[in-house]
Amino acid sequence: MRPDDERILICIEREAERIHPISFELLKAGREVTDCLNGKLCCVLLGNSMGQFLKEMTPYADEVYLLDHHSLESFDPEVYTVALYHFFQSIHPSAILMGHTMNYQNIAAKLAYRLGTEIITDCIQLAIEERTGHLLCRKPIYGSKFIATFKQEKKPYIVTIRSKAWEPIPKPTSNAEVIHFTPLLDEIRFREDLLKRVKEESIDLSHAEAIVSAGRGVKDAEGFVRLKELIQILHRFFNRVELGASRPIVDAHLVPSSRQVGLTGEKVAPELYMAIGISGSMQHVTGILGAKKIVAINTNPRAPIFQVADYGVIGPYEEVLPGLVKKLEEL
Amino acid sequence: MKPFQIIVCLKQIPDPEGPLEAFQIDPEGKRVIPIGIPPVINPFDENALEAAIRLKEDYGAKVTAISMGEKLAQPVLRKALAAGADELILFVDSHFKDLDSFSTAYVLSKAIHKIGSYDLILTGRQAGDWDFGITGLLLAEMLQIPSINLARKIERRGDEIRVEKLIQDGYDLVKVKTPVLITVSSEIGELRYVSIRSLQSVSKKPVMIYGADDLNLDLQRLTTKKILDLSPFQSQRECKFIEGESHQQKGENLALKLREDRII
Ligand SMILES: Cc1cc2nc3c(=O)[nH]c(=O)nc-3n(C[C@H](O)[C@H](O)[C@H](O)COP(=O)(O)OP(=O)(O)OC[C@H]3O[C@@H](n4cnc5c(N)ncnc54)[C@H](O)[C@@H]3O)c2cc1C
Ligand SMILES: Nc1ncnc2c1ncn2[C@@H]1O[C@H](COP(=O)(O)O)[C@@H](O)[C@H]1O
Repeated sequence: MRPDDERILICIEREAERIHPISFELLKAGREVTDCLNGKLCCVLLGNSMGQFLKEMTPYADEVYLLDHHSLESFDPEVYTVALYHFFQSIHPSAILMGHTMNYQNIAAKLAYRLGTEIITDCIQLAIEERTGHLLCRKPIYGSKFIATFKQEKKPYIVTIRSKAWEPIPKPTSNAEVIHFTPLLDEIRFREDLLKRVKEESIDLSHAEAIVSAGRGVKDAEGFVRLKELIQILHRFFNRVELGASRPIVDAHLVPSSRQVGLTGEKVAPELYMAIGISGSMQHVTGILGAKKIVAINTNPRAPIFQVADYGVIGPYEEVLPGLVKKLEEL
Repeated sequence: MKPFQIIVCLKQIPDPEGPLEAFQIDPEGKRVIPIGIPPVINPFDENALEAAIRLKEDYGAKVTAISMGEKLAQPVLRKALAAGADELILFVDSHFKDLDSFSTAYVLSKAIHKIGSYDLILTGRQAGDWDFGITGLLLAEMLQIPSINLARKIERRGDEIRVEKLIQDGYDLVKVKTPVLITVSSEIGELRYVSIRSLQSVSKKPVMIYGADDLNLDLQRLTTKKILDLSPFQSQRECKFIEGESHQQKGENLALKLREDRII
């Protein structure tokens, strides 16, 4: 390991059973930055006995660092932050990339502070400024009504990236050197004392092929029955069909948070996205831009959702959906 | 006994629910300027305020709302008093223009030192203007207190706080000791309704205002956001409207169109 190498460090996000899909998008983003800096693409895995994950990751990077410790078995923001802090202090990466996920947006901020550097969250594009070597980060702002280019001048550059902004890295080519790093955990100031973990439905909206989403225009239980009928029939045409929602539906506790689509929810990329009774605020729309086709059903002809839809039906969904379902049954 | 002290951080932003046309890029290309829409309290900060007021109702507490900015609209922020906050303290100075997240958290940390003691600090999960989502977490780092991100429910048992925090497919119930900083998500519930009448009733209530000089700040440490450019969102899609004699028939025609275009 040459100390003067430019290392681009990817924090691999691990779930209990699998590598979180954003990790492969991080590797793609990281590879681009690595090539610009002529550096090394490295990833770091945290956990306890991760043999199986290790094998999965080595083909994608130049170096894989393993922080193996029983305290890292499950995610705790402070424990992970301390472990990563010591690791970064000893290998001095040039850039650190993490997913803009519930877990990592938290530790990214803490690490930026402790490492005395800067951070830009929720990035959708990264580039290296040729003249200076600084990192340029493009990030949606104002609920994604605009995209801003920020500059980071201090190393290590730290970013979190938006899911679906990069394709997953294509099939492997390299074979990483594996480096074991003993985590130093004696400075942990505080742990989250977990009393109970409540798993609601485990849903993977980001990989659904078709999504039918309810907005505030869907007012009652009967409305949800209509949507479920539509979902039922769409199963004939798509493998994975899911119910999604805009934020007011989640805040009203009609569906769990994991079904929320948008800026502070999931970014989705189905073949077909159907927005039912959703006005189309940019905070929602930014989550569906990856959809191949967008259908909007809304009573208001001026609803902004029609500006981003491929197909629009102006009318109450209560009347439109029965016609749609009937015809789909006949097809 | 000293009351349980809650500080809620409120950011004033242009109404994020305003229409696309109401937001424009300034001539320098570094800022977004709202046209014809009012400033509001960041919606997630209203959620945080609601959480604070519920804690006050359920267990007793003193709720102090604070806000920092280059310019702040008192009538907008007084809503916090009308909703049930006990005091409102504003930190206003031309030095606070365009600050980056670190400097924002730094000024807030000095503001909180000025207030003195606290048990619980609440912030929104993210401000709906720049959508960074880190200021609260940085503030906790600077104050050297623990932080819990993305709360959907907060309860108190003595000096122990129980928080339901969002995780990928559900939530964790965790317990922490005070002092602690918690960032709040919208699942916690909307801010209660504030009538014009209750707004009027607090219009004479004193609001404390401090400037940079009052905060023992190292002005050298204040840095602004490093923005190179801004560009507007543009939709690439063209909407085909589906017609029909009745709404039901529009639905049928939609199915036919989706088949014709080989989407299904
Ligand atoms: C920082 C921030 C983050 C946010 N993150 C998200 C996010 O991740 N996801 C998200 O969704 N929102 C998010 N929001 C909220 C977002 O700005 C909007 O408030 C929200 O998306 C509006 O939801 P809606 O379209 O369902 O409701 P509304 O805007 O109330 O729209 C309801 C629509 O239903 C139509 N309608 C009414 N009746 C019928 C009927 N019978 N048939 C058909 N149509 C009908 C109406 O014409 C209207 O267009 C965020 C906001 C902020 C500030
Ligand atoms: N100028 C400010 N005054 C008061 N609170 C703020 C300010 N800026 C940010 N905050 C708090 O920090 C949270 C996160 O902001 P941000 O990191 O900008 O998304 C907000 O929801 C507020 O609670």
